[in-house]
Amino acid sequence: MQVRSPEVVWLPSQLTVDYTKCTGCRICELACSAKHEGRFQPSLARLKIIRYDDLGIDIPNVCGPCEEAPCVEVCPVYAMRRDPISKMVFLDHDKCILCKSCVGACVNGVILLDTAEMRIIKCDHCGGDPECAKVCPTGAIQYGPISSATTFERHGKVTSYLREIEHSAETQLSDGGS
Amino acid sequence: MAAGGYTGRILRVQLGEGNFKVEKLPPEWIRDYIGGDGFAAKLLYEEVPARCDPLSSHNKLIMSTGPITGTLWPMSGRTVFVSKAAQTGIWGESHVGGFIGPELKYAGYDMLVIEGQSDKPVYILIEDSNLQILDAGKFWGMKTHEVTAAIKREHCDPDIQIAAVGPAGERKVRFSSLIINNARAAGRTGMGAVLGAKNVKAIAIRGHGAVEVNDHEAFTKLAKAAHMRVRTNPQAQEMGKWGTWILTAVKQEIGELPTYNHRTGVFPGWEKLSGDYIRPRYTISDRACFGCSLGCKKMNYVREGPFAGTLGEGPEYEGLMAFGSNLGIADYPTTLKANQICNEYGMDTISAGATIGFAFEAFENGLITTKDTGGLQLEWGDSQTVIELLEMMGKREGFGDILAEGSRAAAKRLGRGTEQYAIHVKGLEVSGQDGRTHRSIALGHATGARGADHLRSLVVVDQLGYEKVARERWGADKLPEIIDPYTEKYKATAVVESENAYCIRDTLIVCWYSVSWPPIFWMKDFADMLPLATGEKSLGDVKNLTRIAERQVTLKRLFNTREGITRADDNLPRRFTHDPMPEGPGKGQTVDLEPMLDDYYRLRGWDLETGLPTEQKIRSLSLEWTKKYAPSH
Repeated sequence: MQVRSPEVVWLPSQLTVDYTKCTGCRICELACSAKHEGRFQPSLARLKIIRYDDLGIDIPNVCGPCEEAPCVEVCPVYAMRRDPISKMVFLDHDKCILCKSCVGACVNGVILLDTAEMRIIKCDHCGGDPECAKVCPTGAIQYGPISSATTFERHGKVTSYLREIEHSAETQLSDGGS
Repeated sequence: MAAGGYTGRILRVQLGEGNFKVEKLPPEWIRDYIGGDGFAAKLLYEEVPARCDPLSSHNKLIMSTGPITGTLWPMSGRTVFVSKAAQTGIWGESHVGGFIGPELKYAGYDMLVIEGQSDKPVYILIEDSNLQILDAGKFWGMKTHEVTAAIKREHCDPDIQIAAVGPAGERKVRFSSLIINNARAAGRTGMGAVLGAKNVKAIAIRGHGAVEVNDHEAFTKLAKAAHMRVRTNPQAQEMGKWGTWILTAVKQEIGELPTYNHRTGVFPGWEKLSGDYIRPRYTISDRACFGCSLGCKKMNYVREGPFAGTLGEGPEYEGLMAFGSNLGIADYPTTLKANQICNEYGMDTISAGATIGFAFEAFENGLITTKDTGGLQLEWGDSQTVIELLEMMGKREGFGDILAEGSRAAAKRLGRGTEQYAIHVKGLEVSGQDGRTHRSIALGHATGARGADHLRSLVVVDQLGYEKVARERWGADKLPEIIDPYTEKYKATAVVESENAYCIRDTLIVCWYSVSWPPIFWMKDFADMLPLATGEKSLGDVKNLTRIAERQVTLKRLFNTREGITRADDNLPRRFTHDPMPEGPGKGQTVDLEPMLDDYYRLRGWDLETGLPTEQKIRSLSLEWTKKYAPSH
């Protein structure tokens, strides 16, 4: 028997996350549910902030980036597919049989079953203009091509490095003066 | 269907019977009280009998939210706990951030009312419509972070929001607090003791529902714009970076950093307690409460020294003051450790620090000795003693048992003139301000419904000289006196106007730091937003909001009146009115309280002699119903 190797695709744009910037405020969850559900209901948001109150760490779990998408691979009826151009995974609700395989397969745990309306809830990156990235006050969630994402990251690192140097210089100055 | 924003339901937990009861939220409450603090004041006045013991089964613990709790409006994740206060025996309220308020709304309730008393330790589980009172025998004695982790594990759900009572609350330490998920505290007035006395170890809440506002699109648009106002405000950006620690330097500069039990307002070691010093050395991450784009919470870690390995959030400015400058300690790790002990045991940092300060000063002056303290030498700046005393207070061991009563009761028990060092108003220890160098807070401390309070009427505009804001709010004719921190003139005007706006803030409920410092939102912003959220047009009028605020202040006053509070209780410790500020920019200043009180009562429509709301005022605020509940003599 031949095992089909999963499809690996290059993603033009994706949500990137920097958990060191996340404050755990969950504005993204609120804005997500406000946009897609027309009400404020974080339990139906397409992304989730995991808060570790004992450690002081907050980690945003968003849809992607999945070069190999388990939800697509696992779907028995091909309801979960990639858009040929944006490569974003979308759910064809007409085909979905609510087997919940994708809910279990999602590595980020952000595909949900809404038990009130019996439907699968899945992020669609707001069609290329994701609300969560727009409302994030700290830039912990960003959206763009992967190359620019690394640029953001490098820029952030350099800025904080420069700040560090500046600070040590100040400290030395003030220590020397006292 | 209730108005937008509300769930329209009140959940009652009847501990005596082991029952839950869901009631409809009376729709007229929305028009008259908006929510949060207002709802709670109404319910507490009606249902808790006059002169009852706050630790008896007659008292109730109310958790209340507002119409925009759980929505996208900036910093709207706060909730309030209201009860007859264990520490003071009068009106008690304690606000807290975190995530538990929105969770209650998502579970489907605007308010939670805990009544009666359980005969064995229990915890309350509220998971949407799954309501249970569960045995907490195995959790009794646990510290707050332990019980929080244990309940989350027990129900296999890390997203449960938990308000926990620590060992201090179990032992009814008078200033014990409720700790929400490890590090957020409903600190003041002793809510932990009220819940501890009811034998409730924790309230665990999880909700999956929604909050729906009246005009979703318009509200969301306005809320997003409001977030941008927070994000682009320069002071808010600073606040997000340094947290409330930024205040240490500000307070030092204006000579208002309480030091040596409020003896003076400048502290030589202040630099080591300032944000500039702490953040680069100890802070490991920035955190925020629900829906907050400012994010003033800091997670900190101590790498070396006697408290190496301490990992925890906080303390806020008030904790830095209470365990730092006020005890003569110029060491951040000590304040972090002390703050952590307070969180774990469930104690209020302000009152705990102030009570230790009281003991230190009494010891220094020879009024108490090692015979009282069980051999402990009490000395300013001694970190180890502070830590030791806090543990003793949390466990009510030895001398800690006396201090666990708070400074007023401890002074009464010790006698010998120690009461001159108990710095409190109506039994609540004075927070990190000083009326001598900031006159309006003197009036705020004296008139606060729960005692010496810095959150109900603290005017920041005069303290930091926001001239433009002052002109807009109070009129050019009151300048420059109204922003001069050293004069009593016009201070009542500023206090009353601020108190009114904060009242509305506490009904919504939004955070102090979106309203006060920096002053981003004010009455007009709330008036613009409320009709969109609720659909109640009358809430769109600033005049009407002011009237609602006045009603609320007067209702709390009537609650206190019923407990015997009069003008004589609206006082300050002698320290502020008689001992001139010994040094700093405000050297030589004292507070002349009486003229400010006169002005305040006049503006409030309260009797000048007794300080009680006049008949006319009660009628004009439609509070005649309160007479039905007056004590029968």
